[in-house]
Amino acid sequence: MDKAWARVSELRKSFGSVEVLKGVDLEFHRGEIHAFVGANGAGKSTFLGCLSGAIHPTSGVIAIGDEEMTALTPRLAIEKGIGIIYQHFQVVEGLTVADNIFLGSEIQRFGVVQRREQERQAHALLERLGVDIDAHQQLDRLSIGERQLVEIARALHIRPVLLVLDEPTAALSDREIEALHRVVQHLAHRENIAIVYVTHLLDEIEAIADKVTVLRDGAVVWTRPAAEVTPAIIAQAIAPSAELEQRRVARELAPAPQLRLEGYRCGYTGPIDLELGKGEVLGLYGLLGSGRTDLVETLAGARRCAGGRLLVEESPVSIRDSRQALDRGIALVASDRNEQSLFPTLSALDNLLMPHFDGVARRLSSQRPLFDRMAAALRLHPNRPDLASRRFSGGNAQKLVMGRWLIPELGIKVLLLDEPTQGVDIGARAEIYRLLGEFAAGGGAVLVASSDPAELVTLCERVLVLGQGRQIELIDRDITADRLVEAAHQSFSASLGSARPAPQPVHSQG
Amino acid sequence: MTETVAIDRPSRHDLAGILNAAALPLAVVLLGLFFYIKAPVFLTPRNLLSITVQVASLMTIAVPFAILLMAGKVDLSVGSLLGLCGVVAGLSFPVLGVAGAVVFTLLVGLAAGLVNGFLVSWLSMSPIIVTLGGLTLMRGLAQYLSPNPLFGFPESFSYIGYGVLFGVPYLTWIMLAVLVAGFAFMRLSPFGRHAVAIGVNERAAYLVGIRVKLTVMLLYAAVGVAAALAGLMTVARINSAPSGTLGVGMELSVLTAVLLGGVPFTGGRGSLPRVALGVLLLGMLSNGLILMNVPTEASLMLTGLVLIVAAALDVLRSRRS
Repeated sequence: MDKAWARVSELRKSFGSVEVLKGVDLEFHRGEIHAFVGANGAGKSTFLGCLSGAIHPTSGVIAIGDEEMTALTPRLAIEKGIGIIYQHFQVVEGLTVADNIFLGSEIQRFGVVQRREQERQAHALLERLGVDIDAHQQLDRLSIGERQLVEIARALHIRPVLLVLDEPTAALSDREIEALHRVVQHLAHRENIAIVYVTHLLDEIEAIADKVTVLRDGAVVWTRPAAEVTPAIIAQAIAPSAELEQRRVARELAPAPQLRLEGYRCGYTGPIDLELGKGEVLGLYGLLGSGRTDLVETLAGARRCAGGRLLVEESPVSIRDSRQALDRGIALVASDRNEQSLFPTLSALDNLLMPHFDGVARRLSSQRPLFDRMAAALRLHPNRPDLASRRFSGGNAQKLVMGRWLIPELGIKVLLLDEPTQGVDIGARAEIYRLLGEFAAGGGAVLVASSDPAELVTLCERVLVLGQGRQIELIDRDITADRLVEAAHQSFSASLGSARPAPQPVHSQG
Repeated sequence: MTETVAIDRPSRHDLAGILNAAALPLAVVLLGLFFYIKAPVFLTPRNLLSITVQVASLMTIAVPFAILLMAGKVDLSVGSLLGLCGVVAGLSFPVLGVAGAVVFTLLVGLAAGLVNGFLVSWLSMSPIIVTLGGLTLMRGLAQYLSPNPLFGFPESFSYIGYGVLFGVPYLTWIMLAVLVAGFAFMRLSPFGRHAVAIGVNERAAYLVGIRVKLTVMLLYAAVGVAAALAGLMTVARINSAPSGTLGVGMELSVLTAVLLGGVPFTGGRGSLPRVALGVLLLGMLSNGLILMNVPTEASLMLTGLVLIVAAALDVLRSRRS
């Protein structure tokens, strides 16, 4: 552990006139889990790009062992033993687990793929990771967490000495995160692999990291042993001015609910009985597959409602598509921004004002003032209407897709959000919480589905815990992360028994 | 959720961006100069006007076609539909009179476009397959309706083909009207932005409340009407309607012009002024080659080459971004 396996020194990278990495010095040791944190735009992705060979640094040295190089290529990085697991899965759904693991490096004999041999080796690999996944299975039968593990198995196949994981837990439930952590710890401490672990979740660092590096504005703030730092210290280093603890605005709940669900069912989720008050921020918590996403997407008309009643301001409505939902003042900020919300190549103005482009003629002259007004309210950075939205950091892109529905003229009264701060850094996260608070304070109703209990504790007056598509418990006082997690896991372990207990109907007091 | 680096300057400000933006206008100018040197008659007002007449049908289809392509959808049936509509017009003159035949023909185009649009948007069928089917089907239908070429149309109709207003041919006026309507649609109506948004991210477009299926169907309908209009224009100009050859290959010319105009085959981007330049370039090419007495086979090969070059430019552009 004394001598670093890999070392970068004075690594710099500029895009055009913008310097994104401003001289990064780091060491990576075998057997060590090195957590890597920083706000969106701090240069993490660029740095990882340099490690993987996808990006060529402008200057600086990458040393592996005794060999010093000025740049890597993807092929060279693999040869040197650097494996990378990207945030967006590279696995192919239509293939089996084994086929995926050996994709691109199939075991062949006389040009024929040796599928039995591949399955045998895949099985061995998965066993080594200590996970119970059948190598014969089609990938689309696996959960997101299991796919993540297949991705790791695939990376191991090149026998990496350094394994980079880019926000591996972003889409995972707590249980899946635990499984992933076990695998990562096994790889570092038993198999002596150097791990670079990029994350936004500070709790994770406490749980598994040996060492932490904070990156800010393209430079290393510090690298310290994980045992020496607390989440508060790290948060301070990531964004010195960020106030994560959003003070909750005192709000009075109007007596009549904005939204009422009676025996509402969607897909395998429900029946749900729930009231959402005006001025309320209500949370939806549950593990993956609990029905969080089903519920919010169905309410927004993005999926079919399977039964039950939905009342908006006490009058029953039926919503068959997103257009009808919007006409009733119900809007969705879907999870996975890039897939479902963003128009990456269109300008910030187009992205922000897209729902506003309606009617027969566009009000060209009013667009720019409206954009400026909204951008100021959102504290959009950079404040550039013409810039393509894919150029914005995760947090600012999220402000664009959320800000759409905050335009007063649209008359949105219910805001549904699914994982609103996925891939969003701490600074922007606080801004998003502020915006949600303001929306509710103005009489809007907010329903937030999240897999992050801390987020719901910060935001919500009440939290409905879902499990396996059923409502488990409506927690309306003393909300703590522990209570949420406990309730969600209870449902999970209960559902593992063959006799599923009848769900207790939970009625809210409104 | 990958971080993207906020680049300070938009790409159109750097040198490569300028070159990229200027390539098409520059190509039009250089090609014009080349033909002028080889055949001075090329740059006479008379010849320039005749180029606009020759590309009038192409432009008429290319405008809505480009918007459809920006929405990420394609219509390969436009050539056959043009032929079918020409035949329908020719057959219905004796029955419906000139005005009636024109309206009926446009309605046939509208119906065909709506069917294409319905199959693509509501039944989620592949645009290429649906309209490839239409391409064969409508060609067959045209030949079934009129095995022999039709000719001898009412004078009031064929007058559209050669008549002139303020020194400019009617066909050129029609083409300009379609262009202006297209510009207005893209710039002033929200549907222009909606079309592009659908091309960029259909799911996101749906979730922001855009009527995706309806928009796509209406775009196909617009292309259908434009093909019918182009059919009428062509029939008026050549004063006959040969069911076997009318509009054959038009889908490829339109696609070439639109790709030249910088609309990527995958949609999500594009500008109509550039598409108009693409159409013009194609028209200049075929006109100039005729003036230079280049044999048809050679000019066919050149046109094919231009399509490939246009597609290559498309790839280069998307690599840069």
